Amino acid sequence: MSDDIVRVEELKKYYPPDIKAVDGVSFSIPSKQIFSLLGPNGAGKTTIVEILEGLRTPTSGTATVFGVDVHKDYDSIRKRVGILPQNFEPFDLLKPPEAVEYWARLYDMKVSKSEVSSLMDRVGLADRKSSMSKKLSGGEKRRLGIALAVVNEPELLFLDEPTTGLDPKARRDLWKLIDEIRRKGTTVLLTTHYLDEAEKLADDVAIMLKGKVITRGSPEELISRHGKTTVVVLVGAGKEGLSEISRRGISATEEDGDVLVPVADPAQMRIVLAKLASIELNVKDMYTRKQSLEDVFLNVVGSKMDEGVLAK
Amino acid sequence: MSRILADIVAFGKQYTRSGISMFFAFAFPIILILIFGAIFTGSGDVKIAMHVQDLDEGPFSEAYMGILRNITVIDLTVIPSDADFYEYFESEDLNVAVMIPGDFSAQIGLALTGNSSAAGTVLVYGDPSTTSYTTVTEIIDFTLTNMSQALTSTTPVVGFRTEIPENLGGLTFMDFFLPGIVGLVVMTNTLYTITSICAEYKTRSYFKLLATTRLRKHEWLLSKFMFYTVLLVASMLLTFAVGQAAFDMTSTLTPLAFVFIAAGAFLFLSMGMLLGSIVRDPESAAAVANAVGFPMMFLSGIFFELESMPGYIQAISKVFPLTYFNDGLRATMIEGDMNTALVNLGIVAVMGLVFFVLGSKVMSWKER
Repeated sequence: MSDDIVRVEELKKYYPPDIKAVDGVSFSIPSKQIFSLLGPNGAGKTTIVEILEGLRTPTSGTATVFGVDVHKDYDSIRKRVGILPQNFEPFDLLKPPEAVEYWARLYDMKVSKSEVSSLMDRVGLADRKSSMSKKLSGGEKRRLGIALAVVNEPELLFLDEPTTGLDPKARRDLWKLIDEIRRKGTTVLLTTHYLDEAEKLADDVAIMLKGKVITRGSPEELISRHGKTTVVVLVGAGKEGLSEISRRGISATEEDGDVLVPVADPAQMRIVLAKLASIELNVKDMYTRKQSLEDVFLNVVGSKMDEGVLAK
Repeated sequence: MSRILADIVAFGKQYTRSGISMFFAFAFPIILILIFGAIFTGSGDVKIAMHVQDLDEGPFSEAYMGILRNITVIDLTVIPSDADFYEYFESEDLNVAVMIPGDFSAQIGLALTGNSSAAGTVLVYGDPSTTSYTTVTEIIDFTLTNMSQALTSTTPVVGFRTEIPENLGGLTFMDFFLPGIVGLVVMTNTLYTITSICAEYKTRSYFKLLATTRLRKHEWLLSKFMFYTVLLVASMLLTFAVGQAAFDMTSTLTPLAFVFIAAGAFLFLSMGMLLGSIVRDPESAAAVANAVGFPMMFLSGIFFELESMPGYIQAISKVFPLTYFNDGLRATMIEGDMNTALVNLGIVAVMGLVFFVLGSKVMSWKER
């Protein structure tokens, strides 16, 4: 028997007249992994998650969680699942500990004051216990959302765009929290449009576009499969630098005033660097950059993504 | 100048897109002017109904009847002189009636010849907790004072006395008003709140979030029903206590009044659930709740007796559930009329059930 916690097969969700929100998606999530659905807004990530949460009915295909068809019997697995929905907003006039106690009761659980206090510590809201939820910052609200999502000690956690709209520090703080949750053995399905988030957190990534999974693998696998090269970055070399380098028969591109020199074979790196050193170039800095999911996304989709929106 | 214009346009767009702003700017004053216009002008057909029996049929009583007939705002109905005044009052379900006694002219005659203990005395009989009783009494007082002054400038030769039906002893207008206030509080606290809560929960995805827990829709509704029933019972007890302390009211807090609170909470929560499930956002919810709530507030007999309003308004009021709530609560708290109270309670419960079924069908916590 498979130890997959989530299994999705040929899942489709169509809306009239001809919107294919999810168009034949299949994947599985093994236990204790962070699986990320990565893609721009409208790719179908949230639709898949909401089908898995029993909130939407699929047009066809199957979606099972803990071996149970969620469309038929979500009730039987409800207590084993935690959910942080997209754009989570807490109840304004409840204090964080009150919200946690309330949420636990909705799962038929009774939590002691010390358990609540410990959870507040865990999500970093210990010093915000007396504040009304509406007074919390964006990052604190998401932390409270995660506290509610884990109050029933779920084996599977759905995090739907947990860091969207947060500042960089709040995002990094949340990453730490999510990583801690994973280390405790919770399986996580994370949807995001932040490439660095998926690369940092996920064991397994499925890049989605227009309702389909277009590629899938661990961040390292994806980079090795789709990220073509390591790149030498010549900061501030500009168009003149590009012209000089090209004249010497070295392939390069210019991006935002920098010149990027791809090196397909790591063994060639010394030779390329020696060639570049022999050219009189006006550069501010020079460094090598390994390819990231951002490059993978650009290569696979053919477009960059900023805050969930594909660049034209 | 172009920046100012741009700002006006941008602000104007936002303003006109806000349902609540538009409601209070345009719909609210129109509703108020229509309602109060209908109540107080009624296209000229609103009159004060006055039922008068002349047992004297003498010169002074006929003169007085003439005075009453000449007052254009009075819709005078003459009670036949051979009818039993009190039976007529009951059978016609009147709030107030006037009787000119058989010795009215004779007493005035005696008074005019110097008998200081004689005076023609008109009887005003009715329910002092009603506005029509108060109005008729004021008219009688005013007309008799004028008549007396016209006859003699010395001692008053005419006057009036009041009599209250036995079952209404000691009631005041505040007794009439209290059930109306309770009804108003029940409606506003449940209808307005739950409409906006449903819209807010929908907009902020709270329903979706709740759907992922073990809480079921009917449990959520039941919790709201229980909360508001307890809250509104507490509110009624407080209002009743204040009314008794401040206005010496004599209406009774019957067990059926508590049942009415529960039935009213159920009815207006169900209505709110239906409205809140239909609207798109909390702003529209407030506008819709106001559009439904305000007419009910003014046309369900809370502030004004329905009997004193034009016929078509009385017909409209029959559509509003608050009318039955108020009538039933008055029947049990003021009149001690169990049958009327139970009939109205039944109507409130059935209306509540209809709205509950409709609301449950429309309200969805999940996506399609």
